[in-house]
Amino acid sequence: MRTAINFLLGVAALCLSGTSWALTVFVCEPEWGALVKTLYPKADVFSATHHLQDPHHIEARPSLIARLRSADLAVCTGAGLELGWLPMLQARAGNPRVQDGQSGMFYAASVVTLMNPTLGVATPFSGDVHREGNPHIQADPHRLLKVSTGLRDRLVQLRPQDAQEINAAYAKFQQRFSAAIVKWERRAQNLKGRWVVTQHASFDYLWAWLEMKPLADLEPRPGTAPTPGHLDQVRQRLAQRPASAIVIAQHHDRRPAEWLARQDAARNTPLIIIPATVASMSHDALMEWFDAVITALTDQIR
Amino acid sequence: MSVVTPPRIRLLLAAAVLVCAELQLGKSGWASDPGPWEVGAVLDVAASSRDMAMGARSHGLQVGHSDLLIRGPLGAPFAAEAIFAGHTVHGRLEHHVEKFSLRTRTLPAGLSAMAGRFASQIGYLNEQHPHTDDFSERPLLYRGFFGGHWFDDGVRLNWTAPTPFYLRIGAEAFSGRQLIKNSETAQRPGAGVVSLKTGGDLNVSNSWQFGLSYLNNRRRSPAHHHEEARGDDHAHGAEFNGKHVWVSDFVYKWSPNGDVKSQQLRLIGEHAQVSGIHPESGSRRHAGSTLAAVWRFIPAWEIGVRTDWLSVNRPELHHEDGVTGLEFGAARLREDALMVAYKPGHRQTYRMQVSRQRASGMAADDVFSGAAKHIVQFQVIFGFGAHSAHSY
Repeated sequence: MRTAINFLLGVAALCLSGTSWALTVFVCEPEWGALVKTLYPKADVFSATHHLQDPHHIEARPSLIARLRSADLAVCTGAGLELGWLPMLQARAGNPRVQDGQSGMFYAASVVTLMNPTLGVATPFSGDVHREGNPHIQADPHRLLKVSTGLRDRLVQLRPQDAQEINAAYAKFQQRFSAAIVKWERRAQNLKGRWVVTQHASFDYLWAWLEMKPLADLEPRPGTAPTPGHLDQVRQRLAQRPASAIVIAQHHDRRPAEWLARQDAARNTPLIIIPATVASMSHDALMEWFDAVITALTDQIR
Repeated sequence: MSVVTPPRIRLLLAAAVLVCAELQLGKSGWASDPGPWEVGAVLDVAASSRDMAMGARSHGLQVGHSDLLIRGPLGAPFAAEAIFAGHTVHGRLEHHVEKFSLRTRTLPAGLSAMAGRFASQIGYLNEQHPHTDDFSERPLLYRGFFGGHWFDDGVRLNWTAPTPFYLRIGAEAFSGRQLIKNSETAQRPGAGVVSLKTGGDLNVSNSWQFGLSYLNNRRRSPAHHHEEARGDDHAHGAEFNGKHVWVSDFVYKWSPNGDVKSQQLRLIGEHAQVSGIHPESGSRRHAGSTLAAVWRFIPAWEIGVRTDWLSVNRPELHHEDGVTGLEFGAARLREDALMVAYKPGHRQTYRMQVSRQRASGMAADDVFSGAAKHIVQFQVIFGFGAHSAHSY
């Protein structure tokens, strides 16, 4: 009897003390997890996806609903990137904190301007149209700095007692990351003006930042699988105007890019496969990822 | 409880919501914005080589389950959604309001509630939107026991447990009029459903879900008159029903590294048992099962097989020499389907399906009169505008 009472008291204490525990953060993509860890190392972070997954194509799995159920804060890209699954998680989780419009739901895309917003109604043939613009903002370090500001504000709002700690981590990140951007830009000088064949507009922000030029996209429209007809058009365009590289993300199907590289074998156009985001959520993960991306591009584009 | 609105009012409502949607667009993002209103549509067209027993699609070129969807927030605490759906049967358009509901978003402690017209969460497939189905016809047990896709007027309360794995317990009360159109009883609520869903990930590549649900049906359709011809009874509503319906469902999915776009294997099984099929039925039951395997072997391409069976004891009134007697027509229907689908994007599906039916049992010729040896179907599904998030 006594053990039963103790058990019940324990359960009650667990339930009541919930809010004084670490901030539980659900991130849709690991780059935001890395950013949360950088600004607020105390946070308990779970990422719904990893770098080998396409964040458009995630299922609203039971495990993700359970994770969102207990989150104090959700950090996602927004701009429609997660529209195939996040609204379902929000509807099923029964968690009032992480609904749109609540302070526990933070969309990174809401604090930056996006490239290529589109107008008009999405038809069956328009692919993954994002009215708000291209959501793959993680590949632009300048926008990441802006997101870190918005995220800092939100963390301070949710954990005012830790404001000093968060602000200090934020200042340190801004300083270190800004310095790193200068270095990356210097290393990438040679990439300026180079043409690249890409896939899914995944790295459009990277090309804009490094002043590189996308020549063609392997997907006929973003979100539409490459078709033989379209690949042949890309091949013809590549024959007319050589590109410095074919660059796809690690989570893309390699076969279309490999086929194109074979067709272009005479010119030896390199096929560069880079992860679309960080592989871990350590506080240095973002720096390491950009380092690796710049290294991959500068090593293979001559 | 029933949401019956004349067409003109419906149109006005739709127009008002559209205006709201336009006003809301473009200003999403700031902290207190509960999100935009969205409008979308789905068009499903299929050509079938012939009618099939219990089939929702008649032969020839027909419009399948197509709809217009409007949804959005009503302030922070609520989300509203309306779906107007239609399909053609032998070239004739039938339409209905499939969803007209208000859902809470900010109830505490893992609770959420819904009211209005919506699909019951019984079984695995019922609460899913038909355009995401892997096969061009719903499993036999849905067609037999739930009219294909059971939506009704009612209320729902769900609780999601604060557990490390997923656990949802739900209760629903419905008028039951969409399940049993003409009832000999007039109890309200006519149908209640309690359900349990649980699931999780085994590791990064494997995930699962299990569900158990029970429907208490207090409405009863009159016994079948044996002499009646089976007309084009495509109306929604359960063809075979009873007082107690149990459904268990299991889903298992595998994708290497969780990369569902490149490759995925889905295994889906459901079993339903219906008892209390008539006051004098004794221990006679209806039962049905479905088992499906679908494999996305390269991006955009899927192949799938499904096997279904349905076993029923239909209460029938026989009139002979001025004496009316009750009998139970025992029959069994087996259906196998093979499909190939091409899905180049979120908004396009092209499917070819070959199905085969076999009816057996004493009353097979009567109960499953249209059982078809082979049916070939070509199906195209197009999505316009806002795209719904899919459930697992």
